[in-house]
Amino acid sequence: MEVAIDTPVKTFIEVTEVWVPEGEKLVLAEGNYGALDGFEEASRRESFARDEGLPGKAWAEARPVVLKQFDGSYFKRTEAAKAAGLTSAVAIPVFDGDTLKAVLVVLCGDDSERTGAIEVWAETDGLLMLDDGYYGAAKHFEWVSQHTHFPAGQGLPGGVWSSKTPILMRDLGSGYRFIRADSAGKAGLTTGLGLPVPVPGKRGYILTLLSARGTPIARRFEIWDARSAKVGKANDAILIDGICAREGALWDEDNPRRVTAWQGAIGRVLGTGIPLVEGGKPGLAAGYDSMVALPIHQGGELSHIVAWYL
Amino acid sequence: MQKLVVIGAGMASGRLLEHLTETDPGAYEVTLFNAEPRGNYNRIMLSPVLSGEKSYEEIVTHDDDWYAARNVTCRFGEKVTAVDRARKVVIGENGEVPYDKLVFGTGSSAFIIPCPGHDLPGVVAFRDLEDTAAMTEASGTPGARAVVIGGGLLGLEAAAALRLRGMDVTVLHLSGHLMERQLDEAAGYLLQKDLEKRGITVMTRASTKEIRGNGKVESVLLEDGTVLPADIVVMAVGIRPQVQLAKDAGLDMGRAIKVDARMRTSDPDVFAVGECVEFEGNLFGLVAPLYDQAKVLARTLLAEEDAFKVKQLSTKLKVTGCDLFSAGDFAEGDGREDIVFRDPARGIYKRLVIENDRLIGAVMYGDTADSNWFFGLIRDGEDIADMRESLIFGPGFQGGAAADPLSAVAALPPEAEICGCNGVCKGRITQAIEGGATDLGAVRATTKASASCGTCTGLVEQLLAVTLGDGYATPAAQPMCGCTDLTHEDVRRLIKSQELKSQPAVWQELGWTTPNGCHVCRPAVNFYLLADWPLDYQDDPQSRFVNERNHANIQKDGTYSVMPRMFGGMTDASELRAIADAADKYGAVVKVTGGQRIDLLGVKKEDLPGIWEDLNNAGMVSGHAYSKGLRTVKTCVGSDWCRFGTQDSTGLGIKLEKRLWGSWTPHKVKLAVSGCPRNCAEATCKDIGIVCVDSGYQIGVGGAAGMDVKEVERLTEVATEEEAIDMTVAFVQLYRENAKYLDRPYKWIAKVGLDWVREQVVDPATRAGLIERFDISQTVYQKDPWAEHVAERRARYAPLADLTLEAAE
Repeated sequence: MEVAIDTPVKTFIEVTEVWVPEGEKLVLAEGNYGALDGFEEASRRESFARDEGLPGKAWAEARPVVLKQFDGSYFKRTEAAKAAGLTSAVAIPVFDGDTLKAVLVVLCGDDSERTGAIEVWAETDGLLMLDDGYYGAAKHFEWVSQHTHFPAGQGLPGGVWSSKTPILMRDLGSGYRFIRADSAGKAGLTTGLGLPVPVPGKRGYILTLLSARGTPIARRFEIWDARSAKVGKANDAILIDGICAREGALWDEDNPRRVTAWQGAIGRVLGTGIPLVEGGKPGLAAGYDSMVALPIHQGGELSHIVAWYL
Repeated sequence: MQKLVVIGAGMASGRLLEHLTETDPGAYEVTLFNAEPRGNYNRIMLSPVLSGEKSYEEIVTHDDDWYAARNVTCRFGEKVTAVDRARKVVIGENGEVPYDKLVFGTGSSAFIIPCPGHDLPGVVAFRDLEDTAAMTEASGTPGARAVVIGGGLLGLEAAAALRLRGMDVTVLHLSGHLMERQLDEAAGYLLQKDLEKRGITVMTRASTKEIRGNGKVESVLLEDGTVLPADIVVMAVGIRPQVQLAKDAGLDMGRAIKVDARMRTSDPDVFAVGECVEFEGNLFGLVAPLYDQAKVLARTLLAEEDAFKVKQLSTKLKVTGCDLFSAGDFAEGDGREDIVFRDPARGIYKRLVIENDRLIGAVMYGDTADSNWFFGLIRDGEDIADMRESLIFGPGFQGGAAADPLSAVAALPPEAEICGCNGVCKGRITQAIEGGATDLGAVRATTKASASCGTCTGLVEQLLAVTLGDGYATPAAQPMCGCTDLTHEDVRRLIKSQELKSQPAVWQELGWTTPNGCHVCRPAVNFYLLADWPLDYQDDPQSRFVNERNHANIQKDGTYSVMPRMFGGMTDASELRAIADAADKYGAVVKVTGGQRIDLLGVKKEDLPGIWEDLNNAGMVSGHAYSKGLRTVKTCVGSDWCRFGTQDSTGLGIKLEKRLWGSWTPHKVKLAVSGCPRNCAEATCKDIGIVCVDSGYQIGVGGAAGMDVKEVERLTEVATEEEAIDMTVAFVQLYRENAKYLDRPYKWIAKVGLDWVREQVVDPATRAGLIERFDISQTVYQKDPWAEHVAERRARYAPLADLTLEAAE
C-alpha cells in the first residue's frame, strides 16, 4: 500500500474553502486556512457575484476552473494570496441539476518540492481530454497529461466517466501501469481519487486528485455511496472504498460502514448536500485534524460523497 | 498436542484456522502447506487488485505475523507430492510431516478449453496473484489487446479491470447472454450495455475455435471465422476441483472429494473443505458455503457437533458502477409467477419469481438496495401472500406509486427521433410544447411531427403529457398487449429511433412489465426487429406461430400440408412428376389451390423432412403457404399466349415472385399480375395487383378478398416492367417498415392514407432507399426453410416414441 507515510510534511493543498449562494452572491461558508491568517481575513470579507472572481467564474461557466496565474486575472484576492505564498487555485462547482449548491475552492502554493496533481478532464468528441490541471513541481507529468486522452472505461478519468462513480486508485506509479504510470511513478504520485463533477448541460467533467508521498493531498481517502439504488429510501451512505495511512484499508465487502444523515461529518454532508471543510478540529476520523467532504449530486439525488483527510 | 496438517492456504482453510485458533489455540500443532509462495489472501478481491482499485497488501487476510502468533508452521511455495495414509504422513517437496488429522483444502483450478493454442504463452487463467501479475504486465504495453473467454463473474471482472488498465478488451461468451447462470436475459442485456459503455466489446454466441500465435498469443479464431487480435487471452470459463492428490491417496471420490455433513472424507482422520469437496452431489464455487464448511470443520476437529447444510446463494459482481444481484431460481415454469419492475430512465430492472406464495428467485439490475431483504425472504421461504402487491417495492414500501406508464417516453434523450417522416426529434417537440403548442394540432403545425403518416401520434401525445403534466389528458390508445401501455405504432417508432436491436432491449428500454413479453407481443416485436435490423437481429423461432415454426400448415387431423412454390403459377412436367412421386410416397392428397399452385395434404409431421428433401431435389422450394410473408404471385398467360394480352404478365409475375419470396411481412401478402383489363388473374382484389395495359402497368394496392372484400386503389401507373418491379418492391418494404403486425396492407393504408404511401413510393430517392433496404434484408431472409430444416433440424420432426413397436418377449 503506497499511501503517504505518516510524518509531518508540507501539504500540496494549503487552503480549502466552501462558498455558498446567498441571494445573488456567493458567501464563505467554511474554510481551512491553516496558519494563513492574513488570507483568511481577506477571504472572510469577500463575496462573489456570478462571474465575479474564481468562485463566481465556476458558477457562471458551470464547470471546474483551474487558475494558475493570479496576477492580471479575474482573481480578486491576489494581494492577500501573494502575501500568503499562494499561487494557484481550483474551483469546483457543486450542482444539483441546474441549481448551484456550493463552490469548493482549493489553493496551492508553488515551490520546487510540492508535487501532486489536481486535474480537470472534459469530454470532447467522445474522449476525455485534459481541460486544465495544477501539478506543482510535477512538470513532466503535466506535459504527459496534456498529451494524453482517455476513452470511456480507460484509466482513472475514463473509469470514473463510464461508471459515474468516484474511484480510488492505489499505487499509481509502481505496480499500477496506467497510461501515465511511468511519469506518475517518477513524480512520486501514489494514490489517485477521481470523481465526476456533474454540471448543467451535456458536457461531462472529471476531477482527479493525485497525491504524492512527500507532499500529500491527503493521507486518508473515503468514498461513500448514497444512491437510493444502493441504500434504499433511508438518507444513508455506505463506505464503498477507502484507504488510510494510519488504519490501512477502510473498506469491508461484507459489513461496510454506514452513516445516516447528520451523523458525524459525512452525515452532515448527507443532510445539507453541500461540501464540508474542517480544520484544526479534534475528533475527526483516525486522529486527523482536517478534512474535506465533497458531495456529488447525480440523477436527482445526492449520489456519492468523497472525503479526504490530512 | 495433536498434529494437524492442512494442505492449501485458501479462503476456506484460512477461515478454518481462524475458527480453530480462536476457539482452542492449544488443540493442534498446525502445519500449513501452500503451493503458492504466500499465505491466505482474499482471492475474490483479486479483480479490484487487477484494476488498481485495491492493493495486494489490502487483501492479505493472514500475514506472517498472524501465522507466527498462532504457531502455524508455514510451508509456502512447497508442493505436496503425496499423502501416505497408512503411515499418516504428508510428503512435501522438502520432506515429510506426520499428522493425526489431515485437511485437504486444495481448492480448484481454472478449466482451460483444450482448443489448439491453449498452451501458448499469453493464455492465462484468473485464479491467483501470478495470473493477476501476468495480466498487469500485459496491460503495460500501450494499445495492448485482451480477449477474455467467458462472460461469467470472473471473466467480466477481469474484462472491466483490464479495460481500466487501458487495454482494448473483447469478451467472448458462448451463451446468448452474459452470466446466464446467475442472470436472466433482461439483466444480461443491461449488464452488456453497461460494459459496452466502458468501451468493452461483448460477443455472445461466440465459440472459440483456436488460439493462434507464433511462440506467444497473437489472435483468437472463432468458429464463425472471425479473427480477433490479442496480446493476452484470459480463460475464465469455469473451475474444476483440484483433487488429484486426494485421488492418489485413495479417498472416495465423486467429481471431487466426497465428504459428509461434518466434512469427513472416507478416511476418519482426513477431512476436506472448500472448492475441492463434493457434498450430496454438490460442488461449491462461491465463498459463502466455503465459510460455512470451515466453521463446521473447525467444530468437528474440536469434537463438537455441527452439520453443513447447502443454502441458497446470492451473486454480486465486483465492477465499479455495476449494481447487480441475483439469488434463487428464476427459470420460467408452470405455477410460477413473475413480478417485474423496470425503469428505463435509470436503467433499473427488478424481477421476482414467486411459487406457492413464496419468493423463490430474484434478479436485480441497477437498484440493489433491497437485495438483502429479498435474499432473506428466499432463504427463509417466508409466505409473502400478504405483501404480494407491494413486494417489488421492497421493505420500505409505504403505498408508493406503481411504475409510470410514461417512463419510457420520459426516458428518451432529446435527440431521439419521434417523427420518422419529417425527421422531428423529441427535443424539438418538447421545445414547441414549452413554447405554447399545447395540443396535437399545434405540435403538428409548428413541428410537422405526426403530420404525415401519423403513426407517431401516440408518442407525440405522450410527450404532451410528459411536458404539460396533468394539464394534458392523453386520449386512451389501444396498447399492444398487457405487457406495455405503448401501442404497436409507438413500439415500432421507438425500435427505430432508439436503435433497439434485441428483444431484451425492447423489454427494458420500453419498460415492459413482464420478463419476456407474451404470446401477443413476442411475434410482433420479433417481426419489427427483423424488419428494421435484418443484419443485427437474429430471428427468434420461439416467437413465431406454430405454422411458421414448423414451416407447414397444420390441418384439422394433425397432419400437415406441403406446398412447393410455383413462381408465377408456372410449372413443368418434371416438377409435376416429382410432386406426383412425393404424393405417392407419403400418401398425400393433391389439391390445386386458388393461388395457382399444388397443395399436398395429409403429410405426417415425421415425414415433413423427407418430402421437403424430395421436392428440394427436384428444384422446388417452400411456397411459404403458412407465413406472414409473400404467398403467391398469380398470373394470367399474358401476351405470350393470349390474344388480348398487352404485356408479359407471366414473366413479370415470375420476376416479382423471385424477387420477393422469403421476405417476412406484417401479414401475408398476395400478388397478381393480369395481362389486360379483363383481369383473368383477379389482380384487383389482391394486396398488390398489377393490371397490364397498352401504355404500361397500373399498380393497385390494398385489395382484399377474404372476410372483407375490397378493390385495390391505384398506387401509380408506370411505363416499363422495371419500374413496375421497383414500385412493387418499394411498396412491400414500406409496408414492412411501417405497418402494425397483423394489419393487411388495406388496413394499414386506411390508417396512414394512400397519399402518404404514394408520396414515399413515387419519390425516386425514397423509393431507392426502400429498395436498397429490402434487398439487404433479402440477403438474410431469402433462403429456403425446407433445405435449412432438412439439414439442421431433422430430428425435431421425429416422433418422441415409436408406439407401434411391441415389447420384446
